[in-house]
Amino acid sequence: MDLVVNILSMTVPFSVAILLASTGEMFNQRSGVFNLGCEGIMAMGAFIGMLIPFLVGGGGPVSGVYNWLGLLAATLIGALLGLFFGLIVVTFRAPQGIAGIGLQMFGVGTAGTLFRHFVGGTQSIPGMNSTPIPLLSRIPVIGPIFFSHNLMVYIAFLFVPAAWYVLFKTSWGLKVRAVGTHPRAADSMGINVNRTRYEALALGGALAGLAGAYLSVCQVKMFSDELIAGRGFIAVALVYFGHWHPVKIMAGALLFSFAQTIQYNVQGLGIDLPYEFFVMLPYIVVIVVLAFTSKNQKTGPAALGKPFNREMRT
Amino acid sequence: MKKLTVALLVVLSLIPVCLFAGGSGETTADEGGYRIALIIENTIDDKGWCQSMYEGLVGAQEKLPGAFTFEYSEKMTTVDSESIARQYIADGFDLIIAHGSQYKNMVADLAAEFPDVSFAFGTSSEIIADNVFTYMPESEETGYLSGIIAGLLTKTGNIGLVGPVDSGDAARYNRGFILGVESVNPDAKVNVAYTGSFSDYVKSAELATTQINAGADVLTGSSQQAIGALRACAEYDDVLWVGQDLAQLDTPEGQAKCVSAGGYNYTAVVVGLVEALDAGQTGGVCIPMNFNNDGFVFDYNPALSDLVTDEIRAKVDEALASFRANAGVLANWADVQI
Repeated sequence: MDLVVNILSMTVPFSVAILLASTGEMFNQRSGVFNLGCEGIMAMGAFIGMLIPFLVGGGGPVSGVYNWLGLLAATLIGALLGLFFGLIVVTFRAPQGIAGIGLQMFGVGTAGTLFRHFVGGTQSIPGMNSTPIPLLSRIPVIGPIFFSHNLMVYIAFLFVPAAWYVLFKTSWGLKVRAVGTHPRAADSMGINVNRTRYEALALGGALAGLAGAYLSVCQVKMFSDELIAGRGFIAVALVYFGHWHPVKIMAGALLFSFAQTIQYNVQGLGIDLPYEFFVMLPYIVVIVVLAFTSKNQKTGPAALGKPFNREMRT
Repeated sequence: MKKLTVALLVVLSLIPVCLFAGGSGETTADEGGYRIALIIENTIDDKGWCQSMYEGLVGAQEKLPGAFTFEYSEKMTTVDSESIARQYIADGFDLIIAHGSQYKNMVADLAAEFPDVSFAFGTSSEIIADNVFTYMPESEETGYLSGIIAGLLTKTGNIGLVGPVDSGDAARYNRGFILGVESVNPDAKVNVAYTGSFSDYVKSAELATTQINAGADVLTGSSQQAIGALRACAEYDDVLWVGQDLAQLDTPEGQAKCVSAGGYNYTAVVVGLVEALDAGQTGGVCIPMNFNNDGFVFDYNPALSDLVTDEIRAKVDEALASFRANAGVLANWADVQI
């Protein structure tokens, strides 16, 4: 029982970064823009997020306010990078895949370079502490799994119903889905396609930036050049896994994290299998589930990856 | 407007190329002597693998003033490394140190093409060409010392080991660690798990957290990824860390949690390389690193000296004395099954 509780209580906080980034990427893709630069935005978010508490405290303890300021700054820089990506792929109509790779390199490289300039080598910060919810955190089994984490964990999971509501119950969400499905029809209905895509990219970038800062401020509480280590690409894959739906994306993030946590625990049980098998287990699980669930599911936004030019017939 | 747009895009596309290419630098303390190039996959301040080689070169310069100058290139992936190595060769460098076994193929190719240039890479004990040096840290020795300390410190009898991959000096460290634990506390359980990466700090932190929640109260780990695990330990009051790099002792979490650390002393390797070049030897040998040839260093954390009991000191001193007296004391390290 302890093992199960241990696995599940780790699954929840370990899933947050990819949950946030995937939710942001979902908005990008729902608007018809495929942003492979998620990794780069996360790297910038991770750097900016830790920079503020580091500059204030020099690596020592700081008021919790500065951690929140770091998270806010990371969100803003993420939004700006999302808008920058919009300039390239929406206004200049550059190929989205190539531009995304460029943004990934730009973000990772810039974050690393600025980090070396302002901070130096691999650096930790005190970061955000856990905030167990009174009473609820004491409930056996349920408490440690759901109610004994830092505040960002709770907030991240609240984003899921919020994202669902915004996407499916607001006029802006309808616009996003419209420009991602049939931008010409949306345009003919008076929806400003480019503006809507910019807005979705800003929101997606903001969540990716926050996801990076979650790693550096709330989870690992340090920064290094390699901190994101491919999680941005996993986030992009999870959007497909979750069929562009926030609740399914959350399920995907939890499943990936669950498989990851299982392999951490199982490695120590002395099972006679090569450790490489356990290390790749989360990726195998996602691929297998994706293969079995993709049948009869709807495909992605019809205009995903296609630049919109209202002057041209398509 | 169109020209301006194109110009803007070109500039923006060049920025990440420049940034992503990694840093480089040159030491100019003493001009003359050999010209050595260092190629590393991470950075010179990663508090791990790459920093230790950089510090080894700096230390060797102090020991052999005027004997050599060096330049370094950071964040060189295996794919990028050949390009920068060729540039160093074209610039007339005498020795190219490619610090990582992942560079083996690149070194083998270039060594065949440029027989007048010396190369070095590690960790490896393989002799691949007459103009290639290799170096192999016999990390089972530092692992053994860490194991003694962990075995005597643990209260739960549950020890965590956060490994990168099961190869090279990490494999030697892990097995030496288990031997060390068994020598003082045969009942203790060493929970070995791998992240599958040398540099995924998040995974190492997650793995350490998982092990701590499973009852581990003393942890260790090697390579630069171990910093993430050390940081995770700092979140828990009753958890301690034994390190595999002295740079860890300088971090805030190391000050709080790292009882002791072994470490590479690449100064000895670099001095050995320069002396070999002086003797007209351009390669074809493996330089082992152990306590016997000062290839390793070991120290306690003064801030946690209260935790180091007389028994720990005595056991560690005894092992250290045997390692310093003879190389290859732990020849049975490879027999340890993980």
